[in-house]
Amino acid sequence: MATRAGSASGLSLGGVRSASRWGEYLFRAACFSAATLLLAALAGLVISLAVGGWPALKAFGWRFLVTAEWNPVTDLYGAAGPVVGTLATGFLALAMALPLAIGVAVFLTEFCPRRLAQPIAVAVELLAGIPSIVYGMWGLFVFAPWFAAHVQAPLVAQLNEGSLAARLFAGVPNGANIFTASVILAVMILPYMAAVFRELFLSVPAQVREAAYGLGSTAFEAVTKVIIPYVRRGVVGVVMLGLGRALGETMAVTFIIGNAHGLPSSLFGAGSTIASTIANEFTEATGELHTASLIALGLVLFVITFAVLAIARALLASERH
Amino acid sequence: MSLADPELDEAPHLEPPPHDALALETRGLDFHYGNTQALHGVDLGIARNRITALIGPSGCGKSTLLRAMNRIYELYPNQRAEGEILLDGEDILARQTNAADLRARVGMVFQKPTPFPMSIYDNVAFGVRLHGGKPKAELDAIVERSLRRAALWDEVEHKLGSSGLGLSGGQQQRLCVARGIAVEPEILLLDEPASALDPVSTAKLEETLLQLKKDFTIVIVTHNLQQAARIADYTGFMFMGRLLEFAPTASIFSTPRLTRTRNYVTGRFG
Amino acid sequence: MGTRSVRRRAANAAFVAATALATLVALAALFLILWSLVSQGLGGLSGAIFTQDQPAPGSPGGLRNAIVGSLMMCAMGMGIALVVGILAGTWLSEYGGQSRYAHIIRFLNDVLLSAPSILVGLFVYELMVAPFQGFSAYAGAVALAFLATPVVVRTTEDILALQPGALREAGMALGAGRAKVIRTIIWRGARAGLVTGGLLAFARISGETAPLLFTSLGNQYLNLDPSQPMAALPTTIFQFALSAFDDWRQLAWTGALLIAGAVLIINIVGRLLAREVSHK
Repeated sequence: MATRAGSASGLSLGGVRSASRWGEYLFRAACFSAATLLLAALAGLVISLAVGGWPALKAFGWRFLVTAEWNPVTDLYGAAGPVVGTLATGFLALAMALPLAIGVAVFLTEFCPRRLAQPIAVAVELLAGIPSIVYGMWGLFVFAPWFAAHVQAPLVAQLNEGSLAARLFAGVPNGANIFTASVILAVMILPYMAAVFRELFLSVPAQVREAAYGLGSTAFEAVTKVIIPYVRRGVVGVVMLGLGRALGETMAVTFIIGNAHGLPSSLFGAGSTIASTIANEFTEATGELHTASLIALGLVLFVITFAVLAIARALLASERH
Repeated sequence: MSLADPELDEAPHLEPPPHDALALETRGLDFHYGNTQALHGVDLGIARNRITALIGPSGCGKSTLLRAMNRIYELYPNQRAEGEILLDGEDILARQTNAADLRARVGMVFQKPTPFPMSIYDNVAFGVRLHGGKPKAELDAIVERSLRRAALWDEVEHKLGSSGLGLSGGQQQRLCVARGIAVEPEILLLDEPASALDPVSTAKLEETLLQLKKDFTIVIVTHNLQQAARIADYTGFMFMGRLLEFAPTASIFSTPRLTRTRNYVTGRFG
Repeated sequence: MGTRSVRRRAANAAFVAATALATLVALAALFLILWSLVSQGLGGLSGAIFTQDQPAPGSPGGLRNAIVGSLMMCAMGMGIALVVGILAGTWLSEYGGQSRYAHIIRFLNDVLLSAPSILVGLFVYELMVAPFQGFSAYAGAVALAFLATPVVVRTTEDILALQPGALREAGMALGAGRAKVIRTIIWRGARAGLVTGGLLAFARISGETAPLLFTSLGNQYLNLDPSQPMAALPTTIFQFALSAFDDWRQLAWTGALLIAGAVLIINIVGRLLAREVSHK
């Protein structure tokens, strides 16, 4: 008794109508090639960053990561300034956007009347698609001047010179600094995170929600003790996705961070991120080592965002099971 | 139900049609989903130009048996059939049998209506076009004849160009029947074709099938016992992957030989 | 009624108020941005924006070279992205299934989807600009295709997975091969969804600035030759916004309004299409 295994390709068994068999084979091969092209694209991206950045990594070794000096004149480059700037703005932005995003999502899924919730949710999703350069321009022309005049100047005037607070808030009062860049980043990732949080909360089964309320929970208790814990890994996943966006963002930051080399000196001091440094200097890079250092910075950014994404994905995936 | 159940060890009671009347025959057919065996040595004879119904409780293997007859299971990895299925004396499970050609000879209609996202005309012409280009006039004639035989022509005559998705559920199912018979298969397999239909549409479909058996051999899987009693010439009762009893429909329903069959057809379980 | 109950209800009221406030703050911030965009950008909107090229500081002009460049590069990028993305998404949905390789490709697609766009610019610079000694619209289009393709892959796979399995079985039960079923039945049924995916991808790349900075570079003149540097709205906005000239800044606002408006419209059309699909 023979065994005939069924398989995806089993349909082309036998030798009839070779034209259609070729069509089947070619189509499948085309689809497979396109999928493999994605792998090739990512591999190419990593390899080109590694190869392009190699001269800098070879010249500076691991000290590239911990040196804050970035000087095209002396041809000495260290990534510490932009790396710290990237992490600082990314996490600050996250700290500001996260409570707001969760608040928006909770309000829309739990409290807001349905007829109002739908249009607001759509508006939030649409705003998530606004190009980041728009956020950057708004930061540069509207937010930074307002911030300098109404927050930074009065605040600095209140502080005693030399105090810890004064050092924290020191900086040129033009509104272009680490803090305002973080605010703009926060505004930019807010609609995106709120939209994904809302989807996540909507995925909580109705029975779970009903059970929580059925036990006499208030909405506060239902949300904080049942609904959010129910999707807690997903929440962390969304947080990481938002963080990834903030870390990799170029345009919203470049306009407003002040573009100063080296480690950021204070919250209200000018700084730089990896993306802003590359955007500002790459086309005008003076020498081979300068270009290589910028590409090596890109490699560092890729590693950071890749790690963040991998963690986010692992968490979101485990939520689904 | 354990395998120690005495009736499962008892020999099945089979009264197949005479051998020279058979259009299709399974011999010792086993079926596996991965490591799970779903059919155990099924010997079933399908009579030409008759309607054969397969009944039995959920999970008994009746749909699996049907899906082996046109090898549609091959769409999925890990599903495999062992044994023989003879169509005009030729083993369709044999490697040299081309699945696409087989399916032109053994058509299938599914539980839920499956109109393709295209016009009514293109739906019916789909299979015909696959099996070789035909001149437009001939194609027109085939489409009309198929729709007439499926008792749908009068309802769609003037909107052949509109989408098949716009029809009602019952009409969609008859469209699928028309599509299936347009390629002139020898056998038409129907997998619970009326389960998604209302009683009126069901009656209309049953009437259509009774007309169609003049030209086609029909195998229908159904969980509706009355339906089997109304339209089938032969009925097979399946249980736990085995064909337990197979006989002319009248005797299955009036004088079932096995107690399990009797319990099922009188509604005591299943 | 005990104090505990009072406290619980007070906490709840505070919580509801806090979430409402968060929504208000978020909407207010976003409204402020849109308001600046409209109030600053609308004034500069005129026919000249579409009919004249970018001016020297101090003279009148428009954004025609940038608008045309953006349209050309986005169209080329989308052409690549649609072919590669739909085929790759089809492979994931119809052939790859749960295989190990399919899981790897899905993961890599997610990585591409969230890779910082400036790194794509660097990569395409290394790939196409540095070897051939020149910035070009081709390089810009490839960079944009890199960003659009993962979106198309994702939406294609999702929308094809929604097509009922019975439809595939029905097609093959008539004797059609898998490829035939996909091309004539599955793609056709998923048509509206595929268009939506394309529109979302288009919306994403039309506002991208960073990947164009080192690829298409920019061009102060109207250029229709893709092998030469080409202007794009986002890069022109970037250049003008950081300039010291008021009339350039005005053009930057107007350009930003155009882009944001276009992206909003594309997204809305895509959503309406998607809703039509789900209502069917």
